[in-house]
Amino acid sequence: MLFFLKYGVILSFLLSIISLTILVLKTFSFGKKLLYAEPRGNKKKGIFYAFGRGMMPWEKESARKHLPTYIGGILYHTGIFVALIYLFSQIFHSGLSRPVVFLFRLLLSLGILSGLVLLFKRILLQTMRKISCPDDFFSNILVNLFLICAIFHTFVAQTAPLFFLISIVMFLYIPVGKIRHCFFFFYTRILFGLFYGRRNILPPKIHKV
Amino acid sequence: MDNETEKKDPFEEKIKQLSSGDLKKALQVFREKIHSEYAAYFNSCVHCGLCADSCHYYLTDRNIQSMPVYKLNLAAGIFKKYFSFTGKKIPGWVGAKKFDHDMVKEWVDSLFGRCTLCGRCSLNCSVGLNITYLIRTARSALASIGLVPPGLQSTVNTALKKGNNMGIPREDWIETVEWLEEELQSEVGDNNARLPLDLKGARLFYTVNPREPMFFPLSISAVGKIFYAAGESWTFSSDNYDVTNYGLYSGDDEAAGVMSGRLVKSMKNLGCKTLVLAECGHGFNSNRWEAPEWLSKKYGFEVKSILEIVADYIRQSRIKLDPSLNPDPVTLHDPCNLVRLGGIVEEQRFILKHALTQFIEMTPNREKNFCCGGGGGQLAMTRFSKRRLEAGRVKADQIRDTGAKVVAAPCHNCIDQLLELNTYYKLGVKIKTVCEIVADALVIKKREKS
Repeated sequence: MLFFLKYGVILSFLLSIISLTILVLKTFSFGKKLLYAEPRGNKKKGIFYAFGRGMMPWEKESARKHLPTYIGGILYHTGIFVALIYLFSQIFHSGLSRPVVFLFRLLLSLGILSGLVLLFKRILLQTMRKISCPDDFFSNILVNLFLICAIFHTFVAQTAPLFFLISIVMFLYIPVGKIRHCFFFFYTRILFGLFYGRRNILPPKIHKV
Repeated sequence: MDNETEKKDPFEEKIKQLSSGDLKKALQVFREKIHSEYAAYFNSCVHCGLCADSCHYYLTDRNIQSMPVYKLNLAAGIFKKYFSFTGKKIPGWVGAKKFDHDMVKEWVDSLFGRCTLCGRCSLNCSVGLNITYLIRTARSALASIGLVPPGLQSTVNTALKKGNNMGIPREDWIETVEWLEEELQSEVGDNNARLPLDLKGARLFYTVNPREPMFFPLSISAVGKIFYAAGESWTFSSDNYDVTNYGLYSGDDEAAGVMSGRLVKSMKNLGCKTLVLAECGHGFNSNRWEAPEWLSKKYGFEVKSILEIVADYIRQSRIKLDPSLNPDPVTLHDPCNLVRLGGIVEEQRFILKHALTQFIEMTPNREKNFCCGGGGGQLAMTRFSKRRLEAGRVKADQIRDTGAKVVAAPCHNCIDQLLELNTYYKLGVKIKTVCEIVADALVIKKREKS
C-alpha cells in the first residue's frame, strides 16, 4: 500500500505541476498587452527589487504595519517548503541526519503555529471573514494538516500512509484553489518588477537625479 | 451610494433598467480588456487583507467595502465566474460572483466611488497585484454600457466635443495667452518676451491643464517666465493644448485615445522635438505611459514632464534661482499618477531644494505618499464628494504634521482637492505648483534686444 501511496504522491505532484502550467498558459490565451511607450527605467532592477528589498518590512508599509502577520506568513511558508523537502526525502529514501531532522521539526512547529494563527485570524476577524471564501479556509486547513502530518512522521514513521495521503490530496487541490499562488506568486512578482522597473519608479532612486 | 443620492436618481434608474444584452456587452468588454497579466493577477489574490491600511478610503471610514481586496474581489469574482474553470464549476467555493444588476450597482459604488486609482494598494500587495489596472478594467466595462457617473462622463464628453475638458472656446484661449503675454512682458520688462502660439519648429510643445487658463493663469505665467529666463524655444498650440485625459479615469480607452491623439497630431503639425506635459499627474501618466498603448503605436518623439525640463535648466545653469525669495517652509505632495505611476520622483525635490530655503518632506513620501483623494475622477463625480473629502483626511493630517506654510503640488487635479481640504480641515496653507515656486525665485537678467 505504501508503495502505491508513494507513487500516488509523485503522480499527484506531477499532475499539480502540469495543471499549474496549463493555468499559466491559459492566462496567455488572454493575449499579451503590447507596450509602446518608451521605457524610462530598468526592468531587471525592478524584478530584483520585487523579489528582494521590495518585500522587506522597512520598504513595504503593509508588512511593517502588520509585522506579526508578515513574520507568521514567512514562518508558515518556510514550514511548507521544509515539509515538501521532507516529503520527497521520504519518497526517495534520502537519509536525513539527526540535526537536520531536529531543524525540520523546529521549522515545522513554527510553520504549524503560524498557520493556525493565520487560520484563527481569518475565522475570528470580521474583516477577514468578509473577504474570504470557503476555499481560503479549506486551503489553510489542508496545508496545516500537511504540516502536522509531516512533523508527526518525523517522530512516528508508521504514520507515513496518512502523510502521503494528505500530500496527494493537497497536490491535487493546489490548482483548484488559492494554493495555486505558490506558482502564480513568482509570475505576479515578476510582473510587479517589470511594471515599476520599466517606469523608473522602483527601485527607489533617492538623491540620484 | 449615499442616501442623498438614492431618491429617484436617474443614474440608479439607468442601472435598474439594464437589459441582459447590456450586461452581456459589459462582460464582453471586460473580457476584451483582460490581458494575460491581468488574468494572472485575477488568479493570484490570497485574500490576506494586508492592503487595507494602504487605502486612504479604508483608513478614514474603516468600511470593509473600502478595502482594496474587497474592491478587487468584486472584479475578480466576475472573472472567476465567467472566465475560469473552477469559477464556473464551483462558484461559491472560490468566490465567483454573478454579474447582475446588484453587482453592477456595487461596481459603480465601490470601483468608481471608493477608489482614486492611486495605486498605493498595488505597491503594498503581498503578491504584487496591479489592483489599479484591474479596477480600471472593470470601469471600462461599465463605460461600455454608459455607466460612468455623470460628472466624470460629462468631463470626457466636453473634452471630446470642445477639444478641452473645460469647454474653453479657441478665441478665449488665444485671448488669455495674449493677455498673459502682455503681463509677462511688463513683469520682465522686455517687450520681446513671448508666450508663442503655433510656433512651428519650436523645440518644445507645452501643454496645459484647461483649469489653468480658466482659474489659475498664474501657473501659465510662471512657466512662461521660466521658459523666458532659460531662453527656451517653445510653443503652445492654439487648438490642442489640453494635457488632461479623463478617459484614464472613466476607463474609456477609445475616448482616451482620441484625446491623446490630438496632442500627437499637434506635435506633428508643429514639428516640435519634445512634448512637454504640464504639472498634471494623470495627464502625465496618460500621455507619457498609457496613450501609446491606447493608440497602438510608438510616438516617435520625446515626452517629458515640465519638471524634468526645469530640473535640466537648473543643472545646466540656464536659470538662476534665489531661494531666499521663498522663505516660508514648504512641503511637497506627490501626485500618484506622476510619482507612483509615472516615475517622476526626484526631479521636483531637486528643483524645490534649489528654489526655497526650508523644505520639509511629508511622511510617508515619494512613491509611498498618500493620495490626496482627488484622483480617479473623484473631483468630477459629485455624488461621491462627501467620501472624497473624508478620505482626504489622511492627506490633511500629513500636511498638518509637517508644519509647512506652503504645499507644492505638481498637479492641478490635486491642487483642486488640496484647496478644498485646506478649507474643510482648516489647514491654513498656501498651495502652489512647483513652477510657481520656481518663478517666484527666478532671478531674471535683462536681455539685450536682439
